[in-house]
Amino acid sequence: MTQEELVKIARRKELVVRWAARILGYVVVLGLWEWASGAVIEENLLPGPTRVIQTAVELFQDGAVFPAFGSTLNRIVVGVTLSFFIGAAVGILTQNRWFAGFFKDAITIGLTSPGLIWVLITALVFGNQWFAPLTTIILTTFALVSVNVAEGIGTLPKDTIDMARAFKVGVVRRNRHIVIPHLAPFLFTGIRFSFSIGWKVTVLTEVFTAGSGIGYEMRIAQILFRQDEVLTWILLFFVFALFLEKVVLQAIEDRFFRWRKEIAST
Amino acid sequence: MADIKITNLHKEFGVGVDKVVALENVNLELGGHVFVSIVGPSGCGKSTLLNILSGIDTPTSGSMTITQEGAKAAPGYVFQAARLLPWRTVMDNLLFVQSDKSDETRVRCQKYLDMVQLGDKGNKYPGELSGGMQQRVGIARAFSIEPDVMFMDEPFSHLDAITARSLRRELHSMWAETGKTIVFVTHDVGEAVELSNRILVFAKGGRLEDDINVELEFPRDPSDEAVAVAKANVLRKFEELDLVAS
Amino acid sequence: MTDLAVQPSNQTSKVSAKGGAARKKQKPFVVRVLKSPTFARGLFLPAVLVFWLISNKMIEDSWDFDSSVLATPREVWDFMYAEISGDTVAPNNLYQTFGISLRRLGIGWVVSMIAGTAIGLGMGLSKAVNAFFHDWVMALLAMPALAWALFLSLILGFGDTGPVWAVVLAGIPFVIVNVREGVRSTPTDLFDMSTAFAVPRSKQIRHVLLPSLFPFLFAAARYALSIGWKGLVLIELFGGQDGAGWTFKFWYDAHRLHGVIGYSMFFVIFALVVENLILEPISRRVFKWRPRLDAPELVEEDIDTNLEKPNRPAPARSDVAGTI
Repeated sequence: MTQEELVKIARRKELVVRWAARILGYVVVLGLWEWASGAVIEENLLPGPTRVIQTAVELFQDGAVFPAFGSTLNRIVVGVTLSFFIGAAVGILTQNRWFAGFFKDAITIGLTSPGLIWVLITALVFGNQWFAPLTTIILTTFALVSVNVAEGIGTLPKDTIDMARAFKVGVVRRNRHIVIPHLAPFLFTGIRFSFSIGWKVTVLTEVFTAGSGIGYEMRIAQILFRQDEVLTWILLFFVFALFLEKVVLQAIEDRFFRWRKEIAST
Repeated sequence: MADIKITNLHKEFGVGVDKVVALENVNLELGGHVFVSIVGPSGCGKSTLLNILSGIDTPTSGSMTITQEGAKAAPGYVFQAARLLPWRTVMDNLLFVQSDKSDETRVRCQKYLDMVQLGDKGNKYPGELSGGMQQRVGIARAFSIEPDVMFMDEPFSHLDAITARSLRRELHSMWAETGKTIVFVTHDVGEAVELSNRILVFAKGGRLEDDINVELEFPRDPSDEAVAVAKANVLRKFEELDLVAS
Repeated sequence: MTDLAVQPSNQTSKVSAKGGAARKKQKPFVVRVLKSPTFARGLFLPAVLVFWLISNKMIEDSWDFDSSVLATPREVWDFMYAEISGDTVAPNNLYQTFGISLRRLGIGWVVSMIAGTAIGLGMGLSKAVNAFFHDWVMALLAMPALAWALFLSLILGFGDTGPVWAVVLAGIPFVIVNVREGVRSTPTDLFDMSTAFAVPRSKQIRHVLLPSLFPFLFAAARYALSIGWKGLVLIELFGGQDGAGWTFKFWYDAHRLHGVIGYSMFFVIFALVVENLILEPISRRVFKWRPRLDAPELVEEDIDTNLEKPNRPAPARSDVAGTI
C-alpha cells in the first residue's frame, strides 16, 4: 500500500470515529434522560424526551402554539425596534462631548445591570399594561445599540468621505456607498444582541404579568402543575429562538456582510 | 567544542503529489572552534536542519551525531523569535533551562546576563522589554548552559538594523571568548560573511550546494573592503548556482 | 539660520498682543462649566430623580392605579439604609440572605469548575470526546439561565439542591468552552523551545503548560461566577424559600416598589463590589506579566555601538498611548 492510500484510510477512520462519537453522544444523553424520567425522578416532575414530543404535538393540535409565539414575537419585534431607535438616537447624541458626559452613566448602567431587576420593576409599576415588556426591552438593550452606533459613527472613514467630496460625489451616493456600508455591521451587531437579550427578557416579563404569550403559557402550566407542558414550552421556544438567532440572522449576516467577515460577532 | 557528523540526512513532508523534500541526502562534518553559517533562499531546509539537530524534529532517513567533550547538557538554541516564557522573569527564564537551581547556577546565569548588558533586568518580565532586549535574553539563555555547540536560527532577522548590528558584535565577542561551535542560519549573506569562517550554501529542495571558507581576519567590519569583496564572491556563487530568484 | 536670529523679537511682541486679545475673548467661567462634559455627567443623576418624581405623578394621575405601590427616592433610600443596618421585615436580613445565596453559589461554582475543566480538557485533547459532547455543550451554552430556573424550580424547588444545580448548569458550558480553547491554544513554540533545551517533562508541565492554561481557567472562573449568579437568583425567585432571589420576589409580591428598587440596587452594588474589589485586583496580580499597551515601564534602550564604552543607564521612555 502506498503512503497516499495509508493516509486516506487513516483520515476516513478518523471521520468514522468522530461521527460515531457524536451519535453516541445523542444516544447517551437522550437515553439517560428518558431513563431518569421515571426511574430517578417521577415522570410527572421530569418528563422524558418522548413525553415532551407527545406534549408538543398535543399543543400544536390544540392550536395553542402559534398565537402564543405570535404574541411574544410581536412584543420582541416592537421592543427591539423601539430600542434600536432610542439607542441610535443616544449613540448619535453622544458624538457631542456634552451629551457623552450626560449619558455616560446611563450607558454604563444599561450595559452592566442584570435584566431581571428591570423586569420586576416594570412589572410592578406597569402591571400588565401592553407597554411593560417593551419598556423592559428598551431598558435592557438600548445601551448596547448606542455603544455600537457610537462606535460606528466614531470610526467613519473620514478620509474616504473627503476623497468622495473632492471628487464631487453627491451626498446621497456618498451615503449609499460609504456611510451605510460602514455603519451596517455595527447596526446589525446592535440588533442581534438586542434580540438575543430581548427575547429572554420578554419571556421573563410574560411569566410575571402578561395575559398572553409564551411566558404566560409557562406560568399557567406551572400553576396547573403540568410539568410536561412547562418543559415543552421552554424547549419549543428555546429551539425557535435558537433557530431565529443562529439560522436566520446568521444567514442575513453571511449574505450581506460577506465582505466584512472580520467584524462577524461571536 | 563539539563535533557534528551528519550522514545522508533526508527529510520529507507529505505524501504523493503533496510531498515536499526539505532536506536531500545531506552529508557534512563540522566541529571545533568554528562559526558556521548556513545560507540559502526560503524553502532550502535551513530551519528543518536545525530542528533535526536540536531534536525538535526527526529525519525521514539518515543519521546525525553530536559528540561533546565530557557529559554535557543539550546544545544551546537561539530562535528567530525570542521564545521566552512571558509569565516568568528574565532570570527565571534562564533558570528554566538549567539542570539545577544552585547558587553557582544563579551566579553563572547572572554572568551571562551581564555579558549581554542586561544584568539589572533580571527581575523584569519579557513583556516589559523591547524586541532587541528579549532576543538578547534568548542569547544569554543559550550561552548560560555553557553548551559546546550552539544553534541559531536567524536570530537577528526580526530586529532593526541598528540593534542587529550591535548584537552581531556582541555575539562575535562571546563566541571568540568561549570557543564554541556555532551553527548559524541566516538569509543575509552579509551577516554570514561578517561572522563566520565557513559558509554552507543550500539550494531550494534541501541540497547542500557549496562549502565556502572565509579566511579573513576577525573582527570584521562590514564597511571594510575585504569583507565587501568576500560578500560579493559569495553572492556570485549564488548566481552561478542559479539560486537567485528566477 | 540667520533668519531665525532676526525674527524672535518681532515674534514675542506678536504673541503677547495675541495673548491679550485672546484673553478678552475667553468665555465667562459659568458658561465654561455649563458646557463641560463633566457637568453634564453630574447632571444625569438629578435629571433621573426629577424624571422619577414627575413620572410618579403622571402614573398616579393617568390610570387606575394603586398608588401605594409607587415609591419615592426617599423611600428607597430609607429602605436601603434600614436593610444595611440589619433591620428588615423580611424573614432574613440582608446579610443572612446574601450569605445563603453565596453559599449555594460557592458550591455550584466548585462543581462547575471541576467537572467543566475535566470535560473541557477531554474535548480539547481528543477529537472523539469533542464530537461526543459538542452539540450538547453548544445547546447548553445557548440555553438561558431562565429556562433552568423555571424548570428546575419545580422539580427541586425548596432547599439548596435546585439552586446549586442551576448554578452548575448555567456555568458549566462556559467553563468547558474556555478550557477547551486553552488546550487548543497551547504555545507550541514554547514547548519546542523546551524540547530543544532538553527540559524535563515535569518542568515543562509546571512552567509552560499550566501557566499557559491559566488565563483560560481564570476566564472560565469569572464566567461561571457571573452566569452562575444569574441562574441562582432566578431559581431562588421562582421556587425557593430564602436567598437573594427569593427575597427580591418577596418585595415584589408585597407590592413594595421601594423594596424592589432597593434590592435591585443591592444586586448592582454586589456585582460592582465583587468585580472591583475582588476579581480585578486578583486579575491584576495574576497577570502582572502581561505587556500593557500603556505601560510606562516599557524600557527602550540606548544602543551602544561600541562595546568598550561603559554602559550608560538606559533612559526610561514612556510609550504611553493615553494617560494612566
